[in-house]
Amino acid sequence: MKSEESTLNKVPPSHANDLNAYPMKERGFINFLVITAGFLLITPILSVHRVTDFMIFCIFVMSFDLMYGYMGRLSFGHMLFLGTGAYCSGLFIRYISGNPLLAILMGTFMAGLLAMLIGLVIVRTTGACFSLINLAFNQIGFFLVLSPLRGITRGEDGFGVRVSSFGFFNFANTTFKFWFVLLCLLLVFYLLKRVTTSPYGILIRSIKEDETRVKFLGYNTFFYKWLTFVLAGGVGGLAGTLSALNYNFVNPNMMDVHSNVGVVFASLIGGAGNLYGALVGGVVYMLISNFLPIYIHRWEMFLGFSLLIIVFKFRKGVWGNIQDIWEYIQKRKGAPRLPA
Amino acid sequence: MLYTVLYGFTIGAILYFISIGLSLTFGTIRVINFAHTLTYTMGVYALITLVALFKGYFALAATLSIILVIPISYVIERFIIRRLYGESLDYTFIATFAVSLIGVDTIKWIWGVNPYPLSDPIGTYLAIWGLTFPLYRVLIVLIAILLFLALNAFFKKTIVGKIVVAALEDKDGVRCLGINVDKYFSIVFVLGSALAALGGVLYAPISSIHPYMGLSILLLSFAVVIVGGMGNLKGTFLSAFALGMVMAITARYWSQGAETMVFIVMAIVLIFRPIDI
Amino acid sequence: MLEIKNLDVAYGHAKALHDISLKIETGQMAFLIGRNGAGKTTLLKTIIGLLKPLKGSITYQGNEISSLSPEEHYLKGLRYVAQEKKVFGNLTVRENIEIAAYASGEPLERALDKVMSIYPKLKDFLKTKAGQLSGGQRQILLVGRALVGEPKLLLIDEPTQGLAAIVIEEIVSILSGLREKVSAVIVEQNLAMVNRLADRIYILKEGKVARETVERSEISDTRGLEEYL
Repeated sequence: MKSEESTLNKVPPSHANDLNAYPMKERGFINFLVITAGFLLITPILSVHRVTDFMIFCIFVMSFDLMYGYMGRLSFGHMLFLGTGAYCSGLFIRYISGNPLLAILMGTFMAGLLAMLIGLVIVRTTGACFSLINLAFNQIGFFLVLSPLRGITRGEDGFGVRVSSFGFFNFANTTFKFWFVLLCLLLVFYLLKRVTTSPYGILIRSIKEDETRVKFLGYNTFFYKWLTFVLAGGVGGLAGTLSALNYNFVNPNMMDVHSNVGVVFASLIGGAGNLYGALVGGVVYMLISNFLPIYIHRWEMFLGFSLLIIVFKFRKGVWGNIQDIWEYIQKRKGAPRLPA
Repeated sequence: MLYTVLYGFTIGAILYFISIGLSLTFGTIRVINFAHTLTYTMGVYALITLVALFKGYFALAATLSIILVIPISYVIERFIIRRLYGESLDYTFIATFAVSLIGVDTIKWIWGVNPYPLSDPIGTYLAIWGLTFPLYRVLIVLIAILLFLALNAFFKKTIVGKIVVAALEDKDGVRCLGINVDKYFSIVFVLGSALAALGGVLYAPISSIHPYMGLSILLLSFAVVIVGGMGNLKGTFLSAFALGMVMAITARYWSQGAETMVFIVMAIVLIFRPIDI
Repeated sequence: MLEIKNLDVAYGHAKALHDISLKIETGQMAFLIGRNGAGKTTLLKTIIGLLKPLKGSITYQGNEISSLSPEEHYLKGLRYVAQEKKVFGNLTVRENIEIAAYASGEPLERALDKVMSIYPKLKDFLKTKAGQLSGGQRQILLVGRALVGEPKLLLIDEPTQGLAAIVIEEIVSILSGLREKVSAVIVEQNLAMVNRLADRIYILKEGKVARETVERSEISDTRGLEEYL
């Protein structure tokens, strides 16, 4: 017995560098370490506040990528969920209770609920229809917080969010926020990793490739698509609540349709359909949008050209290309390739 | 109330000019062109410059603006759109969006971000039934109707028009009859872009001019095309005016809700008639 | 006239045709028969250029044509009539022929006469929208469209599918009248028709040529051929 166990856990030396060769638990831990290390590394260069910002965006990108990279549906209105999460948690703190944890739960839940409702309608569509109807709902949401609900949302100005500490959870402290957001990011990463590598995840990817065939196999594709939509919406909402808590205010910019381009760019540049890619892309985009305008005045033009180059030349994105290089090196070493 | 109707028709006419190109491009090349209203915006900015240059000869400046914009749309077609034939939808979205980003930034670079005012070039009023209507707006609606008739004639009577109609239905069939359809689709694309510029140029004196004006009207045009049907000429005409009306009537009672109402209508239409692309 | 050697065609990763080889002489009518999904439509689409082969060659009158586009094939005299009987429904019958005449350079009047001569009844329908024609009339219109200009090789996919017996009879007689004048590769499930018109038969099974038949006697053996359907 004992010798069997130890041989099971052993990774043959030829595959020592292949992350996928390690059993799930060990792999998960390594992932966490790498991610944490990555973020910690860039913190001294930028500021803690900035990196927290980046991490929140990365969570948002992961939620978007779930729909785009894995399920193959491009939404032009994903900001709706960020905004909903932000507004709902902000309003909760403002009018009901200053408890941050409850606020986070509330915001995430409301975003998920919204996704459940509109998902019933939206998920039936595909392609451009899907993109545009999401856009429409985003616009409607944006308008709602700007105008009719102005009474509670304070319209264009937005409102401040003052959080009371809840025992150990002190959201006034920047360092605490950093670690809390990092924890959330790792949790989300873990959750989505489990989800996307589970049979459900394979099903979603199959739907992306050929939905009709999956339907023929007897699966209720509508349900799975809807579920993915809800998950994406919920996690997007979580990113929204974290935004509200991080900035201590909420305003309509958090629901701005134009910001969708950032998520799309991040997803593409990192490599769609890949959680690590989402993180890399998120960080890269944040770096670009935060620092490029300082050095290059016409940074939107630069963004446009980069997008064109990515679309026509570098489809796989940064992470995809890194993976390719990695695999190429492995091949040269003579190690047989394991399925990813 | 009649003013609301005229306002609705005017908006509808402008939407029609812009949506025609979008609808045709989608029906033929199957690309949703996010950069479609770039020619709209560029036409307007060219107009501003030319009107200043020609000291008020609006019609001349307008015509020249439209002509100037044509080579730009040709370049976009040649280098970007053509490479997107048969591509998956998200890449065409992203690529054309990138083009619009570049274009808008170029405009900001040359003309700056501040809005330009442009006044009504005719300034006179039409007196009917005891009411005065701005002649300019009436003219816009008339031009739209003329355009509709002209396009109808084009697609029904000319051989190029017939080829496009046939290709909209069965592209491979036309190809197998020896006709290089893509060449005609390119012509359609440039025509559509020119019409969008026409819309921009006509609308400029009665709207606010800023570098992002293209994006807001683009979203509305998407709504028009979706409600009217992609590649459907008559449908686009009707839905443009219908949605223009929706905007005008909504604006009367709830001034900021005009655009949102259009999106609600679009969402409802999509729910009951999802398009399969 | 048309020679195909070792043709492989795939849809993405799925291979539809394996190592196809066949040959048609000028003036001959060859028929492709086989079950649904055997690859007959794929083969025609590859010949006309709508699909590109993975490997192999297609030679027409001595020239390699497998890399050409459908438009270029048309100019060389190849004509394709697809399975779905798709006409330009929003245009009239006359306009359908007008489009067919456009690339060929043939004057419209002559094109109309040509189509009228194979099917005089079409004259009554010149101003009707093609979408309103019956299935049989559409098929005949499609064959007529294909004959405009200087057709040399017709590629027709299941012309009699879904048509009534009388209409089938008309189509058979039209095709009969074309023998010796044009070459043709026709996909068919109707063995009686095959029997009457074929100079050569290729039987396709799962993307491969299962049998090539040139002998008159074997072609008449409809019972024997049936098992391949």
